[in-house]
Amino acid sequence: MDNLLAARATMAFSLGFHIVFAAIGMTMPFLMSAAHWFHLKRGDEEYLALTKMWMKGVAILFAVGAVSGTVLSFELGLLWPGFMEHAGAIIGMPFSWEGTAFFLEAVAIGLFLYGWKRMRPWVHWCTGLAVGVTGFMSGVFVVAANGWMNAPAGFTWENGVASDVDPVAAMFNAAWLHQTIHMQLAALQAVGFGVGGIHAFLFLRGRAPSLHMRAMKIAMVFGATASLLQPLAGHFAAQRVAELQPAKLAAMEGHFHTSTRAPLWIGGIPDVDTQEMRMGVPLPGMLSFLAHDDFDAEVIGLDRFPRDEWPPVVIVHVAFQIMVGIGMAMAAVALLYFWFLRKKHFPRWFLRTLVAFVPMGMIAIEAGWIVTEVGRQPWIIYGVMRTADAVTPVPGMVYHFYLFLTLYLTLAVVTVWLLRRQITTAERTLGG
Amino acid sequence: MVDVLVFFIGASLLLYVLLGGSDYGAGIVELLPAGARRERQKHVINDAMGPVWEANHIWLILVVVILFMGFPTVFTTLMIALHVPMLALLVGIVVRGTAFTFRHYDARQEPASQRVYTILFGVSSLWSALWLGIIVASLGRAKIDRHATDVWSAYFAPWWGLYPLAVGVFVACIFVFLAAVYLIGETGEADLRRRFTRIGIAANAAVVIGGGLVFLAALGEQDPLHRQFLRNPETLGVVGLATLMCVALWTSVRRRSPLATRVVAGAQVTLILLGWWLLYAPDVLITTDGPMTFHTTAAPPATQRQLVLALLVGSAFIFPSLFFLLRVFKSRRDSEGAE
Repeated sequence: MDNLLAARATMAFSLGFHIVFAAIGMTMPFLMSAAHWFHLKRGDEEYLALTKMWMKGVAILFAVGAVSGTVLSFELGLLWPGFMEHAGAIIGMPFSWEGTAFFLEAVAIGLFLYGWKRMRPWVHWCTGLAVGVTGFMSGVFVVAANGWMNAPAGFTWENGVASDVDPVAAMFNAAWLHQTIHMQLAALQAVGFGVGGIHAFLFLRGRAPSLHMRAMKIAMVFGATASLLQPLAGHFAAQRVAELQPAKLAAMEGHFHTSTRAPLWIGGIPDVDTQEMRMGVPLPGMLSFLAHDDFDAEVIGLDRFPRDEWPPVVIVHVAFQIMVGIGMAMAAVALLYFWFLRKKHFPRWFLRTLVAFVPMGMIAIEAGWIVTEVGRQPWIIYGVMRTADAVTPVPGMVYHFYLFLTLYLTLAVVTVWLLRRQITTAERTLGG
Repeated sequence: MVDVLVFFIGASLLLYVLLGGSDYGAGIVELLPAGARRERQKHVINDAMGPVWEANHIWLILVVVILFMGFPTVFTTLMIALHVPMLALLVGIVVRGTAFTFRHYDARQEPASQRVYTILFGVSSLWSALWLGIIVASLGRAKIDRHATDVWSAYFAPWWGLYPLAVGVFVACIFVFLAAVYLIGETGEADLRRRFTRIGIAANAAVVIGGGLVFLAALGEQDPLHRQFLRNPETLGVVGLATLMCVALWTSVRRRSPLATRVVAGAQVTLILLGWWLLYAPDVLITTDGPMTFHTTAAPPATQRQLVLALLVGSAFIFPSLFFLLRVFKSRRDSEGAE
């Protein structure tokens, strides 16, 4: 592994690790607040037990998210000093707001976790909700900063120096809106389905079934609603990418040759040497329609870009297919969910389906980030700075990578182990 | 505008040392032999640090964000030359934060796993404090060479040496001192209070001795900053005052007044930091090319304005909520404990 590859692997792994906890941190507090709300409204002790079970999960996961986020704030400079030297002044603004939001989140979580009986019940409830709201805001700010890497704005670039810096224009870049909507919905989706599926599994196992059914319903309302909205957000995002980063869209779709009535591929593997798609089913005109609302519109292909500015086409295309495929499947399950919810009965096969969907949302999120990040290559700032020019001169980055690989894998194992202990202990208490 | 940013960096750093520092120190205190009191000490530390540790450590993130947005050249220079100690610090931060939380939220509080968490929390607290000191010391040594081509002088020489290590030990002593003083007021149990008092007094002595060692090590390595130490009347005055305050500290300890002890201890550490700051200002980083000052490395004015705005608006939200947090947890000394 050369230094650049090691740095990229480290960043990909750190981000891929953190994003799981960030998504959970943005969503779980809302689920927890919903359960807490039912408890306060109805005085039902089972909802209190659920709130506390989820709360302990939130505490464990928040700690891992907080420390892995701290690592990322350092890694921006440790891995990409060439980037931060220029980008810091331009795109620091959303990070400074994110810092504020995260600070409030840390205060709110301290209040909520330790504040039982120390505040009036509804004030205490509000601190729990505040954890969710501030976490959600953090997500918006960080993704806005990433949007700037895809659609740089707010500066003039001449001879490798940035001038006329306008941090406000940089933050509200052309990509921030579609990226944040897409990401925030994805977090709700992935965590809603993940938690819903886990409780469906626990319900099927039969210990404390009423608790798990209630938990599944709360989680799935968030997950299913977001899943039904996501195709709209995804469509909006694809149109913006077509406009802002045609090379990324072309890689996503394996679209080698600029053409009108461009097809949308279902499946398929792009062959970069022959510049053809293999296998897969083309839907003629659909890509033109999705990208430009017109079946006959021209869609720019990779042929318009020099060969050394192509993103890794196969990775981007496959990741994109995975994301869209899972997203569509989740939307279908979401429809079924609302259907069974109206009928007030969930058949066992449907609950088993939910169990199968536990990891799906997270896989889709990871795939989506591969599309965004790998699809931008070879640029770290699209069209301005190449990733290779931003990497740290420090040698031996591969050890940095191994270090965090070991550390984070250990953390992941311990976290899962702790959450399992939480669930089994809570069930035992409830089961008497 | 730059001065406002410098003020915020200074204030965040101070709050990180005072609040985050006592949090680190608590971890180190848990490493000291405690015998039969270990279990009760653990509960005191959990209750005292649990609600605030997440907030305490964000002061560091604030410093990082102000640096990379407001002073990007300083940030990148640091992250290249001090890659190794920064990495070491990060590993420590990850381990101590998770070990502390996992210990509290492990559903089955078994002695074996609890012991592992406690050791990890303690060792990584000490480890992080040492590296934090090493990083701080490296800022002013004039050993950061931005043109170095060999690995040793580019990435190791900037932080290697007896003087940075002495600062690391000094910082660890300060953290233990702050933690012990803070913990005295967090427990009603007489034997624990006596224990924290003893540790506090020992750590205070260690701070004075450690400070002397730092000075000697700096002289030995001919550190450019510390050669100015004796010629800088403000620094001398401030550090002298901090040392004199030991008398006030012992008085308040003898009178068993946790609040006064905390105030005096906080003031002492603030003065030490102020002395260091006075020695530095207006430089932030001294390289082999000469000093980088806040003014010469500041981001463009538009960025500074936005950063100041974010900091002011942020403070307007953060300080009231922090105040609320402290009021909720410190107003009543009941022992309901955490959930």
